[in-house]
Amino acid sequence: MSSTSQKHKDFVAEPMGEKPVMALAGIGEVLGKRLEDKGFDKAYVVLGQFLVLKKDEELFRDWLKDTCGANVKQQGDCFGCLKEWCDAFL
Amino acid sequence: MPLFEEDPAHLSKARLKSDLIAHNVALPPTKSKKEVYVELHSKHIDLKHAGDFSSDEEDQVQDVEDKDPEDAGIPDPRDLTDDDLKAALLKHGFKPGPIVGTTRALYEKKLRALLQSDGHSALNGTEKGVLYSDSEEEEENEEDQDRESESEGEQEETVEQSEQAQQESVPVKTYFQKGGFVYPQCFLPSSRLRAQASRNREPAPKWNSGNALKTSERSQSQCSQIPAGISRASSVDQLSGLGSGLPHEPLKESYKDMFPDAVTTPTGIYASCRKPIKGAAGRPIQFAYPDTPLSPTTLERQEVERRLVPIQIQLVVFLIVACLLYLIYVSAEDNSFSPILALLDSLSDEERSLQAETQDTAPLSGQE
Repeated sequence: MSSTSQKHKDFVAEPMGEKPVMALAGIGEVLGKRLEDKGFDKAYVVLGQFLVLKKDEELFRDWLKDTCGANVKQQGDCFGCLKEWCDAFL
Repeated sequence: MPLFEEDPAHLSKARLKSDLIAHNVALPPTKSKKEVYVELHSKHIDLKHAGDFSSDEEDQVQDVEDKDPEDAGIPDPRDLTDDDLKAALLKHGFKPGPIVGTTRALYEKKLRALLQSDGHSALNGTEKGVLYSDSEEEEENEEDQDRESESEGEQEETVEQSEQAQQESVPVKTYFQKGGFVYPQCFLPSSRLRAQASRNREPAPKWNSGNALKTSERSQSQCSQIPAGISRASSVDQLSGLGSGLPHEPLKESYKDMFPDAVTTPTGIYASCRKPIKGAAGRPIQFAYPDTPLSPTTLERQEVERRLVPIQIQLVVFLIVACLLYLIYVSAEDNSFSPILALLDSLSDEERSLQAETQDTAPLSGQE
């Protein structure tokens, strides 16, 4: 892989604390808004979903697609950033 | 899985169905009556409850399934309880996580997909399903082999061409016009068959010949592209460049070559495991970075630094030298009012007066 985005690096660099859901890589304003409408207002709520799916990529991608209509790249970015965050901080 | 015993006759049809699925029992045809379900339920599940439920029983159930495989229908996962859904997923070899509100829909979907894929494989026939995997993979394999043998053939082509190039220097165009069309056909199929025979038990002559045609077409197009003036050698270079599509593959592999320990992620994003340098949030340090091998330039620099005087001493020496130079400059600028000279003068004056005093006192002591 060539590189990861700046957003990915920023997110993975530190504990997520109270970061909003839009701080996740691959989640922009539109997807962030949709997620917030469904109750996923903080990054850690999405992390919870990610963990309850046992870090399964396929399921998480499916969930993200169903919940906010993320495309494949956005799914991959979001999954990758949560996965790496977990590897570092969990 | 229900933890308590119930009379199967009192259960709803959907519940019976889900229970049967949960217990790996093949379902009767979708339109069959409730009695059939009840019968199956009492036969399989109640029997199982009598003994311990262990994984050993899977085989038994498999046997039952094999007896009537055509009965497998697709139930609606929405009717299942969370536990049943979990059991059904486990039956299909998928290990689900906790099934809660936010994940249930996903697992239902997953189960549906699994059931569908199972149904699909059942359509293909069980015996063949054991012998062969789905057709797509094999096709890809064949294509791969196809490509390999193609490149092999082309490599041979280039080798032979270069050999001939040493013997004779015929212009390209005439050569290709004369023998180019016949040439690949006369040796390619045999070489392919040989290469293929080693890999595959049954070489498919159909696509072999198709291939030969393809390559001959390609060489024709190449010969039309190559102007007459260019020598043979360049065309050989071109061919080898085109024919062996290999240079791309090592590039792909390069990352893995460099970091063989790196775990391959499904995303294709290669990321080394993040390790907190300081224990984040006051946790103890779990990882220590291993000593990285130093680059030769760094080593050189370290070597040089070891020989150098420490920077503080360098600074002090520099300051001293600077002060001295400044003093000399000042004294050289105006000789008359130089403080040093004045100091020296005063010193010499004092000496002189002292000497005078001693000379004065000496006669005095002599008089006493």
